[in-house]
Amino acid sequence: MVTQAATLNHPHGFHMRPAGLFATKMASFESSVTLSAHGTNVDGKSLMQIMSCGFTCGTEITVTCEGTDEADALAAAVQTIEAAA
Amino acid sequence: MSILTGTHASDGIGIGTTVVANTPELHREPTPVADIEAEKARLTAAIEAYTAAVLAQAEQLECSVGQAEADILRGHVLMIRDPYMHGDMLALIESGMCAEEATSRICEQFAATFEASDNDVIQARATDVRDVCAGVLAKLAGVDALGFSELPPDCVLVTHELTPSMVAGLNRENVVALVAETGSATSHAAILARALDIPTVLAVAEACAALPSGTLAVVNALEGTVTVDPDDATLAAARSQLDALRSEQEHLAHYAGLPTVTGDGARLLVTANIHNVAEARRACECDAEGVGLLRTEFLFMDARALPTEDQQYEAYTQVVKQMEGGPVTIRTLDIGGDKCLTYLDMAQEANPLLGLRGIRYCLQHEDVFRTQLRALLRAAAYGDVRITIPLVTCVDEIREVKSRLARYAEELEREGVAGIADVAANLQVGVMVETPAAALMASALADEADFFSIGTNDLTGYIMASDRANASVRSLYSAHNPAVLRAIHDVAAAGQNAGIAVEMCGEAAADPLLIPVWIAFGIDEFSVNSASILRTRKEIQAWTRSEAAELADAVMRLTTEREVREALVAARK
Repeated sequence: MVTQAATLNHPHGFHMRPAGLFATKMASFESSVTLSAHGTNVDGKSLMQIMSCGFTCGTEITVTCEGTDEADALAAAVQTIEAAA
Repeated sequence: MSILTGTHASDGIGIGTTVVANTPELHREPTPVADIEAEKARLTAAIEAYTAAVLAQAEQLECSVGQAEADILRGHVLMIRDPYMHGDMLALIESGMCAEEATSRICEQFAATFEASDNDVIQARATDVRDVCAGVLAKLAGVDALGFSELPPDCVLVTHELTPSMVAGLNRENVVALVAETGSATSHAAILARALDIPTVLAVAEACAALPSGTLAVVNALEGTVTVDPDDATLAAARSQLDALRSEQEHLAHYAGLPTVTGDGARLLVTANIHNVAEARRACECDAEGVGLLRTEFLFMDARALPTEDQQYEAYTQVVKQMEGGPVTIRTLDIGGDKCLTYLDMAQEANPLLGLRGIRYCLQHEDVFRTQLRALLRAAAYGDVRITIPLVTCVDEIREVKSRLARYAEELEREGVAGIADVAANLQVGVMVETPAAALMASALADEADFFSIGTNDLTGYIMASDRANASVRSLYSAHNPAVLRAIHDVAAAGQNAGIAVEMCGEAAADPLLIPVWIAFGIDEFSVNSASILRTRKEIQAWTRSEAAELADAVMRLTTEREVREALVAARK
């Protein structure tokens, strides 16, 4: 299991488009991807769960990945969260 | 006859007969499931059929309107394919629930979660989930969702909740207006209605009951009203307003794609006032020759924390690229006064319009300003970018901004940003002339500035010492006042003497009565709202410089606002 914190850098937060892009990208990994912020955990492969959280720009999100490709999944997740989409 | 009011979501006027489209009650009573595997297969088949239909619709929309609008529908496919949608629906079927019940349950659950969000963008997505739900239920029932593709001619579509798929699926040529009981201008349905140019009024309480199918209605989306059973006089007035709108549009279309010239051939520019990339796109559609005013504060006001340098760089670059080489004048952060950022903990002021706003705020908050100037320097590499400084009152202020720009350019160069020294050397830095102090010091400011942007809204308010929002003094707030005209005359003259460009933004730039006066004063660039671009170009072309000069000379001898207005009205072409 690997974990890293990342700050969401999309100006309008994780709304439908960026959340959809993120979830689609994460779905290509075998590992599980969990996003945690403000005391809630959601599945990083689910657009609907990510949107439910209403993550806004500047939110620090802790990403946890577990599985055979966990290091790659974590790197991809952190990069996508921190990139200004 | 009665008049309903709501929120205007897409401009225009529509006169027609209502069709109330209530989402059919597709969800039957929960039925016992005999064969669980067959029920799961039924749901999966319905979702596949729904997905195929939505993707086909998105493809069509992409051709007719654009990718951003099509992506709204593609987002619906991502929603239904989500493991917590399709997957959880299958799990409910496993527990013995029918496909319809499972679909409604899961969708309602997410819609409720979104609605409870304190983020209004997420809240608005509840409508999208319900749209997905209705689409899948229709496929389960084996019916075409709503049959909107066959609405009768001159139809005013009335519904409880307007969804993206309704707007995308209707036959545009027959629909003259849309009315819904719920919704907001930020909803995906409103975005699509604007893209398709359908007059739309949302949040009209009890619209379905007040406008039963077959009712004659006038939808005035400019005012946000719906007139039910209009009397003859109202109907005639609406028809002539609609005709006027149409013939103006047809007439103005002749000016699209043409350069802006005066009647005697002097080349001027009509550019757009915008605040984001979506408006930049609209400005291009409306034939803007560039951006005369990009208000950057909206980027800050829409966010919940200060946008980072990269976020700002990205936002500015998008606009610059969208304008494809046309000039883009970017105004640095203009907050304070009536525009506050909640996350910055700004002090309450007794007199905010005379307080810490515009460049004053930025010079006192170096971290905020440094981030923005660095982002602007980086974005300037992508096109013809100019920077203008709001609320300047002293020569020191523009000097200070220029010295900071030079310092940050050096920083960026040390950090390895290629070519930044050239960009900084060529970057034009202008002054917003919008205070009496700047107008009085125009000749000194012209020695420091590369151009002037005359901001007529604030300039009028400060010169007349009149708050336009205050009804008891609003009559003083007019750019037709001789005091305002004299100030603008002198500013333009100072700019011309120094050989710098003089741009005008603010409502007066598009005032057809004043356009000849501005031509005579030597204004080079008129920055107006996208909707006014072609009209402004037409007004400019109606005047030769000598005719304009003659009118301006006469007007400058007048001493009251009323005399000025009467003279301008009499001269109107």
